[in-house]
Amino acid sequence: MTFFKEFTKGFVKENPVFVMALGLCPVLAVSSSVENAIGMGAAATFVLVFSNIFISLIKNFIPNKIRIPSYIVVIASFVTIVDMVMEAYVPALHKNLGLFIPLIVVNCIILGRAEAFAGKNNVARSIVDGLGMGIGFTLALIVIAIIREILGAGQLLGFNVLPETYNPMLIAILAPGAFIVMGLLMGLMNMKKK
Amino acid sequence: MKYYLKLGFVLLSITIIASGVLAYINSITKPIIEENQRKTKEEARLEVLPSAVAFDSLSYFNDEVVYIGKNENGEIVGYTFVASLYGYSGDVKTMIGVTQELVVNKIKIIEQKETPGLGANCQKQEFQKQFENKNKSSMLVDKDGGEIISITGATITTRTIANSIKTGLVMLEEITSELEELTSDKEEEIK
Amino acid sequence: MPDIYAVSASPHLKQRISVPSVMWQVSLALTPALLVGIFFFGIQSLYLTIYAVAAAVITEAVIQKLRKIPITITDGSAVVTGILIAFNINTSSPWWLPVIGSVFAIAIGKQVFGGLGYNIFNPALLGRAFMVASWPTLMTSGWKATSPLSNFFESSINGLKNLPSNVPEVITSATPLGVAKALRDTTQISRDMAETVMNSLSNSDTIQNLFWGNVGGVIGEVSAAALLIGAAYLAYKHIIEWRIPISYIGTVFVLTYIFGGINGLFSASILLPVFHIFSGGLILGAFFMATDMVTSPVTKRGRIVFGMGCGILTVVNRLVGGYQEGVSYSILLMNITVPLIDRFTLPRIFGEVKA
Repeated sequence: MTFFKEFTKGFVKENPVFVMALGLCPVLAVSSSVENAIGMGAAATFVLVFSNIFISLIKNFIPNKIRIPSYIVVIASFVTIVDMVMEAYVPALHKNLGLFIPLIVVNCIILGRAEAFAGKNNVARSIVDGLGMGIGFTLALIVIAIIREILGAGQLLGFNVLPETYNPMLIAILAPGAFIVMGLLMGLMNMKKK
Repeated sequence: MKYYLKLGFVLLSITIIASGVLAYINSITKPIIEENQRKTKEEARLEVLPSAVAFDSLSYFNDEVVYIGKNENGEIVGYTFVASLYGYSGDVKTMIGVTQELVVNKIKIIEQKETPGLGANCQKQEFQKQFENKNKSSMLVDKDGGEIISITGATITTRTIANSIKTGLVMLEEITSELEELTSDKEEEIK
Repeated sequence: MPDIYAVSASPHLKQRISVPSVMWQVSLALTPALLVGIFFFGIQSLYLTIYAVAAAVITEAVIQKLRKIPITITDGSAVVTGILIAFNINTSSPWWLPVIGSVFAIAIGKQVFGGLGYNIFNPALLGRAFMVASWPTLMTSGWKATSPLSNFFESSINGLKNLPSNVPEVITSATPLGVAKALRDTTQISRDMAETVMNSLSNSDTIQNLFWGNVGGVIGEVSAAALLIGAAYLAYKHIIEWRIPISYIGTVFVLTYIFGGINGLFSASILLPVFHIFSGGLILGAFFMATDMVTSPVTKRGRIVFGMGCGILTVVNRLVGGYQEGVSYSILLMNITVPLIDRFTLPRIFGEVKA
């Protein structure tokens, strides 16, 4: 597989959210506004890229039996770093994302990529893979968030985009709205694939 | 046996490196985080009681410090406290600035998890403004015959905020009356 | 070869009953309630119902066209959904509310699952839940009669003319059920006052108003009498059978009698359960929504369990939950349990020996 294909496969073809259905908890929880979606996507991408780099670097030193705990330690460290740095430098965003930053540790995408890709490939490919998957994850979050924020609040990135007379469809920014929007988008992707 | 020792050793070295890195980053970010938290609280205090320049801690209410606000000459201009009560889906925390006569000067919702589009509208300025210049006896929602206009579709949130402020004001009254007794006792002693 | 010799798998006994005949008869049975709605709330009720039905039918047709399957809008199932959606809103709603509600009910509530017969939830109730979550203020306020015709009745339109004049504002809610709920909040009103109001709720005048429809509310729920006429017709035609509605309403009766009073167990007057039965959407829900053939159990014992489950959830919602009314959520929640109920209440096969 070429580098470019490796990079773009996560956008649509192997999209972690819509195709592999991984990491759905943060997707559902923080996609109520585009701002949160971008923040979450960036945090997850950062963790994904750096854990991929480290895991592909140390993969030869780690005995097979303890690879999962080792991966988790690496991932958890990067998540904690992101958590602390965000709290220090972007406290408002950190407050909005709340618990979901520490929960990146258990985001299946990250362990999934570590196990399925970084543990078997070299550093360069792992970076490309992590970046591509992270962008795919972020794109999915943003698409869901755009729909939810416009319908549910009449806003986009906090600016009013619909006329004053629009009566927001509140369900879109509530939890059921997340499930409905994601389900419909998934269905749409499947329909296209056929 | 040797194999398992090796496994343990590898895992140990990974965790040691990880914790070393984390400790280092924590040492950088911790002071910034603490400074941020202190600043936001101080800004909130200044916002609800702008006439004060210095704050002294006075007592505790709901695990939060009750502050006494003083102006340049060291005269008491009012108090600030954090009121907190369970609303519709979580604690609603409100920073309240109170004048010396125990009349609300300004309130600011600092934490809430209410329903977006309904209870979360308590963050709007128009809503928070109506609490100004009210004392504990007028902390009553319109649905209960009071003056505070409740948020459409979120009477519970409105009632929670009004009630939490009311409890806070009652608490403050007790503290300040004790304080007065103390100072008058002292004055008598001096006499 | 004539049909009579056809070889087929069981069941061999067949009723002359088809989806269109059932659905059109249900629509017919809903007509009296619609007429009462128009009588009390004005011609706007009719327009809103037409919008809802049209939106439901068009959505069904469009989606079936997209899925390239036969278009079945003439079977009347979308019409019933549309009418039930309109029955759940009040007359002061904007025109787009029933339209979006119907589109959601048909598209997400029914077609996404594969169309009629495959849906897990009653589409109309799902549409209502969607509307309540999306526009809670539109769905729960403005429950006032607007028609001049309604002034024919002398009594006050919210059916509570017997309320003492000095009750605090906290209990002048738009609907009797709202009042009943507010009474339970002992922090807000005094015990004596609560008792006085409780008595005027479970008073025969109030119940008469609830029965005939002289109350504020949504279009379809106002008159228990009109709904019961329709239900009686359906029961006579064997389209709905008695088990679900009777066990549902019976459970509500017993539980509100035991727990409904404000002075502890069994403190309610015998009229209070009657009040609970005739107020809100219980009659509409029990006879027309819980009995939906697709989303209710097929076994006889299962239907009784289903009805009782709905009743328990409704009473829990009304007496202790966050909502004034709980009929729609109760039925939706019980809808999910239908496969499970069916599984555990399967009749034993003849000749089978217990293991």
